[in-house]
Amino acid sequence: MRGILTIWKKELRVYAVNPTAYAFLAVFLFLSGLFFFLGITLTGEASLRVLASNLAIAELFILPMLTMRHFAEERRQGTLEMLLTSPLSPFSLVIGKWLASLTLCALMFLGTAILPLILAHYGDPDWGVVATTYLGLLLVAGAFCAAGLFSSSLLDDQLAAGLLGIVMLLPFWLVSRAEALVGDELAERVSAFGVLNHLEGFGRGIVDSADVTYFAALTFCFLFLTFRALESRRWR
Amino acid sequence: MIEVSGLNKAYGPRAALRDVSFTVARGEIVAFLGPNGAGKTTTMRILTGFLSADAGDVKVAGFDVFDEPRAVRERVGYLPETPPLYPELSVGVYLDFCAELRGMGKAERSRRVGETMERVGLAGWERRLLGSLSKGYRQRVGLAQALVHDPPVLILDEPTSGLDPAQVAGIRDLVVSLAGDHTVILSTHILSEVEALCPRAVVITNGRIVADGSLEELRARAPGGAWTYVEVQGIEGRQLGGLPGVQVVEPLGTVDGWECWRVRAGADPREGLAALAAGGAFRLRALERRLPSLEEAFIGVVGREGTAA
Amino acid sequence: MAMSQRKRRFAAGGNAILVSALVVVAACVAYLIADLNRVRVDLSADQGSVLLSDTRTKLAMLDRAGSPVMITAFSGQRGKKESYFKDRALLDLVEELDFASQVVEVHFVDLDKDRLTAEKLGVTDYSTVVVQRGEARVDIKDRELFRRVGSGAERRLDFLGEQAVARAFAQLTADNHRVVYTLVGHGELDPQTQDLGGLSEVAAVLEQDDYELKRLDFVRQTDQPVPRVPDDAAALAILRPKVPIPPLEEDLILAYLAGGGSVLIAVDPGTPVPSLLGRLGVVIPSGRVLDKLLVFPYPDRPVPRYKGHRITKDLADDSMVTVVSSAAPVQPSVPAREGIRSSIVLETSRDGWIDRGGEVKNGQGLFEPEIDGAGPASMAIALEVSSDSGLVKKGTARVLVSGDADLFTNGLLTEGPGNSSFVLNSFRWLVGDDDRISVVGKPASVRRLAISAEDIDQIRWLALGLGPILVLLLGAGVWAARRGR
Repeated sequence: MRGILTIWKKELRVYAVNPTAYAFLAVFLFLSGLFFFLGITLTGEASLRVLASNLAIAELFILPMLTMRHFAEERRQGTLEMLLTSPLSPFSLVIGKWLASLTLCALMFLGTAILPLILAHYGDPDWGVVATTYLGLLLVAGAFCAAGLFSSSLLDDQLAAGLLGIVMLLPFWLVSRAEALVGDELAERVSAFGVLNHLEGFGRGIVDSADVTYFAALTFCFLFLTFRALESRRWR
Repeated sequence: MIEVSGLNKAYGPRAALRDVSFTVARGEIVAFLGPNGAGKTTTMRILTGFLSADAGDVKVAGFDVFDEPRAVRERVGYLPETPPLYPELSVGVYLDFCAELRGMGKAERSRRVGETMERVGLAGWERRLLGSLSKGYRQRVGLAQALVHDPPVLILDEPTSGLDPAQVAGIRDLVVSLAGDHTVILSTHILSEVEALCPRAVVITNGRIVADGSLEELRARAPGGAWTYVEVQGIEGRQLGGLPGVQVVEPLGTVDGWECWRVRAGADPREGLAALAAGGAFRLRALERRLPSLEEAFIGVVGREGTAA
Repeated sequence: MAMSQRKRRFAAGGNAILVSALVVVAACVAYLIADLNRVRVDLSADQGSVLLSDTRTKLAMLDRAGSPVMITAFSGQRGKKESYFKDRALLDLVEELDFASQVVEVHFVDLDKDRLTAEKLGVTDYSTVVVQRGEARVDIKDRELFRRVGSGAERRLDFLGEQAVARAFAQLTADNHRVVYTLVGHGELDPQTQDLGGLSEVAAVLEQDDYELKRLDFVRQTDQPVPRVPDDAAALAILRPKVPIPPLEEDLILAYLAGGGSVLIAVDPGTPVPSLLGRLGVVIPSGRVLDKLLVFPYPDRPVPRYKGHRITKDLADDSMVTVVSSAAPVQPSVPAREGIRSSIVLETSRDGWIDRGGEVKNGQGLFEPEIDGAGPASMAIALEVSSDSGLVKKGTARVLVSGDADLFTNGLLTEGPGNSSFVLNSFRWLVGDDDRISVVGKPASVRRLAISAEDIDQIRWLALGLGPILVLLLGAGVWAARRGR
């Protein structure tokens, strides 16, 4: 447990002085502002729904880029060697890094808090829905960060790791659209594995055990594979 | 403290280590000597549990590296070939992080970090960013990182590479001061370092241990062993070859009318030669047995192995 | 060394790969299990995702019947500002219906793209919903789904789709067309009057269950040889006659009851009490019902409590309040008539009383024991009249007596959250559709933003500019602070 905290603190320190993190944060805030603005001018509705579904897709591209440096960079700097030869368990390392990425995401979302405040000023948003929307986005972020960590643990090159992360996540977005594009029985079944399908309920204020389990399972799988990829050095 | 037996490791088809075995006793300082790519780093990585061997057993402080990696890691301080630094962090924060990785409490951490920085000559550098440090200081921070938890076993991969002579001297003093309490394995391809630091060296080349012993023993194992130098008059040099036990005789030239020769014999020929000279068989001005330099021994050992492979 | 290093590594590696595969499979299985046993919590204030209990009741009926129901919703006209809402509201609704039922299959069709489906169903209008069950089919038009309410800045679009679909379900289940007659000719409430005192909205609510409201005028009755309650009457409603009903007509009503008919009688304080109530064992004392707990800001609207009758059971479960206006006390006579089972439907709290004038404080009546009747006072009772009473020849006649007639008017229908359900459930009970008794809710509306053209620039700047600039400034600050270290 202490190892997790140690890594979490260190990662946040590194993020805090990382210009890339600030750049991505600014891009993220700009995009959310854009989606929000388009959403309300298009619909005139006091809701974050347009924002949420678009932001999930933005997360798909931004989060692997934010997490790509985790293991790839540690390996390049040789610090991974130090971490893996310290008493720290790979488990703590993975969880600590994941939590740090998630914390950064939470801070990002905090930066978008002005958007619901705008809604509150000009209308009467449903705060329950606002809360679940953010919960949904955070769950998506958790899964995407885990995927980014996994791709980062596989490749030595940062950028390649980031791209692999995006490629790995693309199917989870595209199958969401499968039903609309193909529209047969199979596509409907497949689209049940899409991220957007599971985010949809949160945008309406619904917390569904199946949706939560979906994101939890996705996150868990990626984190577990990351852990295994790191540990594989021991026997590979 | 460290027992290595029958270590084998291959990267794909290329064998990196072949049947490497050695032991290091508590408090000993051992140098890993060998040309680049000989397998030093691989061996050290296996010792720290970062890599695994294809075959063989490694025990550090009585724990098997493969079965109980955590117990081993707690007892080892490791400086990899490139010092593992986060350029974004400051020296103080970084060392504090390393200490925290070792599970130290807050008070203990600040005490140990202070002590270690003092020890490696980093006092007053807490706030400097690692990314802005010169090579020498990076090396010191790397060393501090390996020392911060005061481990019984230290594994240092090329601790002095890329440093200027003054820095090298500093690090050497540090390593010497560690002897006794700590078991140290350091790798190097600089021979003078071994002479300055280590009573014992393990020579490794092409993944195979070709020599293991004290420096004296190593020198003695140079090709053909030791030479005996003589300066004589009154004897045809070639006749030296006829003396008992003498195998090879080589002329080195004439100095002040004295003929200089180099003689190699199965046993030490000095006593025999002196006796002959005392008996008036020839006149003898100098009689000296010279062990080969470490460089000679090294090149001899490595070269011979190299051609054999 | 029991095992060679290679073997150990192989074992560890093989194990790790196997475990990884198992873990991934286990995660998938966990998801599938969770998908089959969903638990949902709706945290929204509007509770938009939760289907009305009325819809759920009807879906349960469909599920029990088993045969598949297909719902095809067509998109709104592209480019129109409202289409986004319309599509979204429809999409949310069909998703919920899909989720809530096993037999319902839903499709959302883009009318512009999927011409094939549109032509197959013969749909030409945007925002249309087609509900099919076997051969039967109900089309719901745009204007039934959405209703424009208010004006100016308060203008909004209400979505009535769920009620419309529920209505379609009712039409598609067994043919359940029922006719409820309302007696007219004595100044009663009229189903055709559209103002607050009329019944037009009530008629619309009843239509949800395919109940038709028809007027019955014994005097002008032409389709019968002799005046009588028509045979197709599922119930007869006598809503606040302003003049006494002639004895001859009361006999016609009693004859209808004798055949197992159902009658709703509603009066207000001070209006004539039909004398047939006495024969049914119902007493309506003078005065009006008051309670310490009143609906703000009215001085004469007690908040009624439900007494566990079938009509109000679901309302009590969902704690949805029904609002009455000035109400007359309605009591079963003591001792009870043989063969008549009476039960209280609405009643005041213990603090309620029957007020007969006297002192008034702050515009509110006070309880004066010497003239007022002690509470709790009942405002509505339900009777089940069996043949033992001598009034009914076959079966059981159901009678609901309400001391407040306004309860059944347009005016009160949307006043309290439970009112429309109360009205609908009253008629459901009267006609014997007990299994349909449930709760219907208010229409879901959209939360609109009131943004003027000047505001837009400000919002654009706040939403797009502020955050990124602050972050970049922060980043620059950190960079400057670290320079030269």
